[in-house]
Amino acid sequence: MHVLMMSLYAAMAAVVLATVDPKSDTTRERVLHGLKIFGSFLGIGLLLSWVLLPVPW
Amino acid sequence: MVQRDTLTENIPPHFADRTIPFNEPKPVSAARRIAAVVAAWLIPGAGHLTLGRYGRALMFFVTIVGAFIVGLRLHGHLYTPTVAEPGSLFHYDLITVLWSFAQVGSGLCYVASFVMGIGMTPIQQAAASPTFEYGNTFMFLAGLLNYLVVHDAFDIAAGRKR
Repeated sequence: MHVLMMSLYAAMAAVVLATVDPKSDTTRERVLHGLKIFGSFLGIGLLLSWVLLPVPW
Repeated sequence: MVQRDTLTENIPPHFADRTIPFNEPKPVSAARRIAAVVAAWLIPGAGHLTLGRYGRALMFFVTIVGAFIVGLRLHGHLYTPTVAEPGSLFHYDLITVLWSFAQVGSGLCYVASFVMGIGMTPIQQAAASPTFEYGNTFMFLAGLLNYLVVHDAFDIAAGRKR
């Protein structure tokens, strides 16, 4: 459930952030930028959850 | 073979700096600019629709309205600023002001939900749902992304970007 929600959140944020990005001129650049954002959200989320796993509170 | 632009190649030097290339973005009138910004806030994507960016308009509408609906379906709460406890630094509870600001960004989604009382269940009751925090997060996402979209519509209308 949590990973599904995180993926949906990352996808929605990536679509909008990549589309409004002023540095991307072509559709290909926007798609690549969106994939980077999506991957960053998921990667950082998983990394943080792994780092915080031993924290008892 | 290099194609030459016969319209602009013979422009006198003192006019050359004052010409705008065909592919440069051009600003629209102030009235259209204001209309685009207001429309963009009210209905996600509508600002881009008024500026002729149909693909982006559809993408923003589906994503932002979708995020708001997902938030409501996950039992997210529609926040309004609440009065803080006596003796607090501010008159209003600051966190509810910030959460309300984030959600108000989704425009008519917020207003319609507020008028129809959707997502307005008492906070203690709503918080009992296991997906309450997920729902809130999606509703904040919808509003905050729409603020970016409004800004993007303004930039396009002002001729700062395509």
